[in-house]
Amino acid sequence: MAVVAAGALALAGCTSDSGSEDSDTAAEGGGGEEDMSGETGDSGEGSEDSEDMGGEEGDTARADLGDVTPNDDSVSFSSGAEEYNAYNGNTAATNSTYNAVVNNQLQSGFWYWGTDGTIYPNEWFGSYEKTSDDPLTVEYTISDDAVWSDGTPITSNDFLLDWASTNPESMGGAEELGFDPVSTWSTYATEGLETEPGSKEFTVVYPEPYPDWEIAVSGPLPAHVAAEQAGLEPDELAQAILDGDAETVSQVSEFWNTGWLFPNYQVEDEALVPSSGPYTLEGAAWESGNQLALVPNENFFGPMPATGNLVYKFAAPETHVQALQNGDINVIEPQATVDTRQQLEGMGDMVAVEDNQQMTWEHLDFNFAESSVFSDENGGLAAREAFAMCVPRQNIIDNLIAPIAEDAQVLNARERFPFMEDYQELVDASYDGRYDEVDIEGASAKLEEAGLDNPEVRIGYSAPNQRRTEQVAQIKSSCDEAGFNIVDAGNPDFFEAGGTLESGDWEVALFAWAGSGQIASGEPIYSTGGSQNFGGFSNEEVDAAWDTLASSVDPEVHMEQLKVIEKALWDELYGIPLFTHPGIVGYDSTLENVRPTSVQTGVSWNADQWVRAS
Amino acid sequence: MLQFILRRIAISTLILFLGSVLMYVLTINSADPLQDLRESRAENREQLMQARINNMGLDLPWWQRYLGWLTGVSKCFVLQCDLGTTRDGSDVNALLLSSAGASLRLVTVATFLAIFIGVALGVLSAIRQYSGFDYVITFGAFLFYSLPVFWAAVLLKDFGAIRFNNWIADPAVSTTATAVVALLFALALASLLGGGLRRQLVTGLITFVVVFGFVFAFDEVNWWVQPALGLPLILVGALGALGFMLVMTVGLANRKILYAGLVTIGLGLVSYVVLGPVLEDPANWWVILALVGVTVLVGAAVGWVMGGYERRTAMVVSVGTALGMAFLIFMDRLLRGWAGFLELAGNRPVSTIGENRIIPERFTGDFWESIFNWGVQLVLPTIVLTLISIASYSRYTRGSMLETINQDYIRTARSKGLSDRVVFTKHALRNALIPITTIVAFDFAALLGGAVITETIFGWRGLGAMFRLGLDTVDPNPVMAYYLVAGGAAVMMNMLADIAYASLDPRIRR
Repeated sequence: MAVVAAGALALAGCTSDSGSEDSDTAAEGGGGEEDMSGETGDSGEGSEDSEDMGGEEGDTARADLGDVTPNDDSVSFSSGAEEYNAYNGNTAATNSTYNAVVNNQLQSGFWYWGTDGTIYPNEWFGSYEKTSDDPLTVEYTISDDAVWSDGTPITSNDFLLDWASTNPESMGGAEELGFDPVSTWSTYATEGLETEPGSKEFTVVYPEPYPDWEIAVSGPLPAHVAAEQAGLEPDELAQAILDGDAETVSQVSEFWNTGWLFPNYQVEDEALVPSSGPYTLEGAAWESGNQLALVPNENFFGPMPATGNLVYKFAAPETHVQALQNGDINVIEPQATVDTRQQLEGMGDMVAVEDNQQMTWEHLDFNFAESSVFSDENGGLAAREAFAMCVPRQNIIDNLIAPIAEDAQVLNARERFPFMEDYQELVDASYDGRYDEVDIEGASAKLEEAGLDNPEVRIGYSAPNQRRTEQVAQIKSSCDEAGFNIVDAGNPDFFEAGGTLESGDWEVALFAWAGSGQIASGEPIYSTGGSQNFGGFSNEEVDAAWDTLASSVDPEVHMEQLKVIEKALWDELYGIPLFTHPGIVGYDSTLENVRPTSVQTGVSWNADQWVRAS
Repeated sequence: MLQFILRRIAISTLILFLGSVLMYVLTINSADPLQDLRESRAENREQLMQARINNMGLDLPWWQRYLGWLTGVSKCFVLQCDLGTTRDGSDVNALLLSSAGASLRLVTVATFLAIFIGVALGVLSAIRQYSGFDYVITFGAFLFYSLPVFWAAVLLKDFGAIRFNNWIADPAVSTTATAVVALLFALALASLLGGGLRRQLVTGLITFVVVFGFVFAFDEVNWWVQPALGLPLILVGALGALGFMLVMTVGLANRKILYAGLVTIGLGLVSYVVLGPVLEDPANWWVILALVGVTVLVGAAVGWVMGGYERRTAMVVSVGTALGMAFLIFMDRLLRGWAGFLELAGNRPVSTIGENRIIPERFTGDFWESIFNWGVQLVLPTIVLTLISIASYSRYTRGSMLETINQDYIRTARSKGLSDRVVFTKHALRNALIPITTIVAFDFAALLGGAVITETIFGWRGLGAMFRLGLDTVDPNPVMAYYLVAGGAAVMMNMLADIAYASLDPRIRR
């Protein structure tokens, strides 16, 4: 403990002094991180995790704190003003980040995201193993200790309901069943689960290869509660799902849709919301509109949470910085701007600041439609190359991103991020650094080659967005020299239905994709006719590579195909990646184990480990 | 009169209806409700979008969506309001109830404080027209009136919460600070009481010494952490209350009334001692309310018995004095709870956000400490709201009062030899207050609707926050619920003002 405390202090000290030694979670591991991984080495479980995954990425996984007993302290966090309102975050109406941040502490599953998007198994929850590639078969075993906080064992029943509720098609259609889910994994596992009711083991068989199988099955909702509310025995419900008895299963859909919501922002019946995670709503204190304090789940079978009260404050983001200074909120993840960073650093030793890179990344995409100067009918590849040569990527980073995040760097890939282990490998294979430096003369030459004279290039983005306006200004000052006529075409309805993006009145689109961590999620963006391929890019090589990738479950094949894809996207210039969005976390410097993550779950991903140094 | 009210209601309903159409159309066209999903790379992006389109009826034409909302609202006539759900499925009815509760708590205190202080300042600055005091009040009124709320609120959080908390951990007031505070008091009181330069100097000097002494003494006994009024201060305050009541009514002319007031104070002292155990930790607010009731009864009884021929005035004075004293005793007890609350709050009593310092369910303190738990959170936003309203009240009252003072009947009253006190309180103030009723009504409605920024910055989940959230997510239902309350309040208050006006001013009664 003392080592960690010292580490945290050192970290706090350096952030508030100069900020120059901010920890780089991804590449090097800062002072604090190293100390934590040192702790990890002490015991078996944590390090085994990382060995399993074949990397020495121990510092992107959760730290192993050993045996923890919850203290009486309280730690507070805010993800914004939106209030928690559903225990079931899988319905179309409730699938939101502010439900997820709370539910993450109430529902555990087979795996979790590490800070760089690596998937780590939760060994205390159970284990899983891919037993066959064709057809893709995965065997899951739930730990014998795994129970809901009401004492009911977690069994295949829960996963059966999870499958049935998110996969109406396989059981007579959505109307028949009545569930209102956001679609998830089970649409790929059309055959259902192979298991017995109430079993600790189940098997999932995918008829088609599914690259993202590992994150497909996660944590379930308590099926026994849903069954009882519908007047069924838990095993009866499970059997009905196995038998494809849609009529019986449809009896629980009403409760599944509405019974796990909190329309009045109060837990009215605690028996309905048992927990399988470190914290629970049973005995929690909820002050509607203001805050929700979770309490430890006494029956938790995994590592116990460190702090006795985990408080979620529902406060608007603009109040966060002052609230942190006053100790009302202990951990905040404010919008990453230079101002917030300076404000946080101005607070002295009380507050520690860390920055990191998010999985959201900014990029410039070309329009391949006929009217565009970059289409193959007009300027073609030469024009695109000319543009790529004059875009001052390094300048943009230096001026706009570096003041927020010290380790900001130019992004040279689309499907991997600089904080990931295999980023460099992918970049080495696909990109030779030809657009690293601005080359005005080269750009002019290329423009001439393309046969274009002072072409107008409208850069469209969703305005108002100060940072993007500044990016366009920097591109303009550089590219106009090379002979382009850059026009700032940002407007508020750029992304709206019927807006500029759809009408095609742009040559270059400037926006960001939020990375999901899934393996095959890039397909609709880059393949011919893809639903998110707004520019109309088409390349047979890329299409074929995505096909191969999406139909394989072998990580090596994935990497191989990604190299093909990225190289083609660079050579043919689908667009130009710019940078990953920076993120900032500010926290009470007496807290230990607060670690920013690049994944969308946000800094509260390991909130159960936050604890005040004693 | 009835016909007038009915006509007003009909017109108001029509206006509300037309306004709601406009509001609805403006809201749903204010931005793209799918904005956040468009840049999402979630695998089920299309489905998420479709789900939201279905939930919110985005595929329907605007009038169909509006009619859907109107149908739900029209059920209010059979007391089954259905204000719809928010984008993520929570019930707007429940949301509205809790929001309105929070907003009312916030606005009520602010409104009453603003009326009381604003009117008092306005009257005083009218009486002392073109004095230093008047100029300072005028300057302050314009300053606060034009203050950007978000800026003032953020500053207030910095000084009133963060720095105050830092200070209270180890409170000490330097001699310089004490002197500055005393000087400010001295200047204010001297210019307020007026008179020749010599008199002002003397007033200022005495005030300076007294205030300096108090602050110094407070500091010495660590009053900031363990405050209390104590019997002497209560006594002084009660005498002050009696003085105020006398000035507002008959002055010292009728000795019987003075004695009635003094007897009331005496009885108050007795009850202070007798009721000590009850006040140690009262069970709930009903106990307090019951005691207030008893206070009023006792005060009235004393006035009735001792009042002689001016029985009614005597009762008013006694009740006023009794209530003033009761309030001081209440404050004394409350202040004694401060130390306990400080301990519970870990020496950081004021939170920058939220309606309670500690989650009520987890709060372990006694009755007095629990008042601090929500009370301290009320202080900062109330200051912001009050400052802004005070500004307008004091200006209006000053103008209205000046106009009245310069009228002929006031000159007549003076010329027949009435004292300043009688002229101002009996003849001028009452008439000057008539126009203020309109402003009070307007202001209350405007505060309800206009607390959006204050609520957001102080993390209150009031109507303003609901409105903002709805607008941010391009979700018409919360916005319309807000409209119903804010618009309804404006229309209703307007009507009340008109009716009150009619009953106050005989000239416009028809």
